[in-house]
Amino acid sequence: MRLAFILSEIGSGLRRNLSMVISVILVTFVSLTFVGAAGMLQMQINQMKGYWYDKVQVAIFLCSEGSTAAGCAGGPVTPEQQESLNALLESPAVAQYINDFQFESKEEAYKHFKDQFSNSPIVDSVTPDQLPASFRINMKDPEKYQIISETFSSQPGVETVIDQRQLLERLFSVMNGASLVAVGIAGVMIVCAILLIATTIRLSAFSRRRETGIMRLVGASKTVIQLPFILEGVIAAVIGAALASATLWAVAHFFLGEYMSQQYPDTAFISSGQTLILVPALIILGGSLAGISSLLTLRRYLRV
Amino acid sequence: MPCRVLRAMIRFENVTKVYDQKARPALDSVNLEIDRGEFAFLVGASGSGKSTFLRLVLKEDRATSGAVYVAGQNVAKISSWRVPRLRRGIGVVFQDFRLLPQKNVFANVAFAMQVIGKSRSVIRDTVPEVLKTVGLEGKEHRMPHELSGGEQQRVAIARAVVNRPGILLADEPTGNLDPTTSMGIMGVLDKINQNGTTVVMATHDDDIVNEMRKRVVELKNGVVIRDEAKALYTSMIPVVGQSRRLKDASGRDDTENRLPGEGEAQR
Ligand SMILES: Nc1ncnc2c1ncn2[C@@H]1O[C@H](COP(=O)(O)OP(=O)(O)OP(=O)(O)O)[C@@H](O)[C@H]1O
Ligand SMILES: [Mg+2]
Repeated sequence: MRLAFILSEIGSGLRRNLSMVISVILVTFVSLTFVGAAGMLQMQINQMKGYWYDKVQVAIFLCSEGSTAAGCAGGPVTPEQQESLNALLESPAVAQYINDFQFESKEEAYKHFKDQFSNSPIVDSVTPDQLPASFRINMKDPEKYQIISETFSSQPGVETVIDQRQLLERLFSVMNGASLVAVGIAGVMIVCAILLIATTIRLSAFSRRRETGIMRLVGASKTVIQLPFILEGVIAAVIGAALASATLWAVAHFFLGEYMSQQYPDTAFISSGQTLILVPALIILGGSLAGISSLLTLRRYLRV
Repeated sequence: MPCRVLRAMIRFENVTKVYDQKARPALDSVNLEIDRGEFAFLVGASGSGKSTFLRLVLKEDRATSGAVYVAGQNVAKISSWRVPRLRRGIGVVFQDFRLLPQKNVFANVAFAMQVIGKSRSVIRDTVPEVLKTVGLEGKEHRMPHELSGGEQQRVAIARAVVNRPGILLADEPTGNLDPTTSMGIMGVLDKINQNGTTVVMATHDDDIVNEMRKRVVELKNGVVIRDEAKALYTSMIPVVGQSRRLKDASGRDDTENRLPGEGEAQR
């Protein structure tokens, strides 16, 4: 009975304050979309880093079947060449610059490739043979990349030496900048949302002061009096969070998944499925913002 | 005196209420007891502290000093989350009815039960019964604006008593009504009192007080200046002291202890 009563109170509150409720929905929608966009940018950065990015700085790719590089004129790398490269890496002249290194076989390369490009159609057209084996090197000082490059580029069986960081660092700093901007906008919008929710709840409490006055006098509990107001704000914010989630999902699905992955087939994009982990976060964030903001407002404007 | 505390439904012990440090107290060292099942009028000029008295019973405000007991419980000691339970034991009626304009008669009365979690079936059974008690049978579906003032006040009374409180506080319930309608309302309050509810009514209406011949407590500037059983609005017998503000239950029905019935108390 009490639940039914609270629900009907919420319903009438939402109807009575419809325009305010819609603005709360929209403001939380926009602010949480920015929060989610920052989250998605970070997820995208992680996706692009792949398996090795945080572990090593320099990759020495070895010649494989179809390599066209000058150093690969002798065909794919032979076990002997690979052995001597390994020995060179362990020799004191090189070892002083590196923390450690790992060998990635063609099979491992294929496995890591599949993980990174799981959302991309490209994964089906690639076989382990097409991917080069490599040495992955964790440098003591990433700036010393040149030394490794000079030492190994001319070695037989080496296709190319790549400083991974240099390739992606610029892009990542742009993306990090963009997510900072998104967080900044989200922060401002969240402040708007909190103030708007507070105003909405205040108006709502004012327009129903007759009811709440009577409820107080006949001995309704604090919960029964306050809950409809709090839930009113929370429901509006959760609807806003749901809209934000849907928007982010649509961006991942249609923009990244269908448009961008066609345009840049060699880039790994996050999937729409991955954005779903943002949904509970956004809903909890929106709901608790509204809950706390309405609770604080009610403490001031609704005597119980 | 535990037994006295229990017999008294409302007991004020030396209660002083100061709203504004610069002004005189709204209530000044009031000692008063109202017994279970009693009917008492609270009279006095505007600003004499009648509404303040009722607010203290409801714990709408706290006494500046002294203790207020309701049904044996010191209200100052009731924690805030248990105040609703105190209020469920007290019905309140005001001069301005305070009905919900968009709810019909039935829904207005049912509201008081819904918000404390009474079941639908209990509500369906109780509300018509209470509406019958206040004489509103067959008007369940009227909206407040379709009722006369007297009928609206009956709805307000029904709402106040539907949860069977032990106490009914009425703050000038007939203030907006003509004499005939007022007498009808008094009949309802009397009936509720006959059913065992303690009724305290603040009023300026001398005709009603004179007609009812109930206990009269007169306040002046926050001080109890008269407390008399089966009394009139204005006391006829001038008395000197005001030493016995705390009513002695055994000696209440006689006419000793008169205090000055000043013209000011009349309208
Ligand atoms: N909330 C308040 N804040 C400050 N002063 C108040 C407040 N309520 C009442 N007072 C003062 O306390 C005194 C008693 O007021 P109270 O309302 O109890 O009188 P009353 O007897 O009910 O008068 P009336 O017959 O006009 O209703 C008055 O002087 C009034 O100005
Ligand atoms: Mg008053």
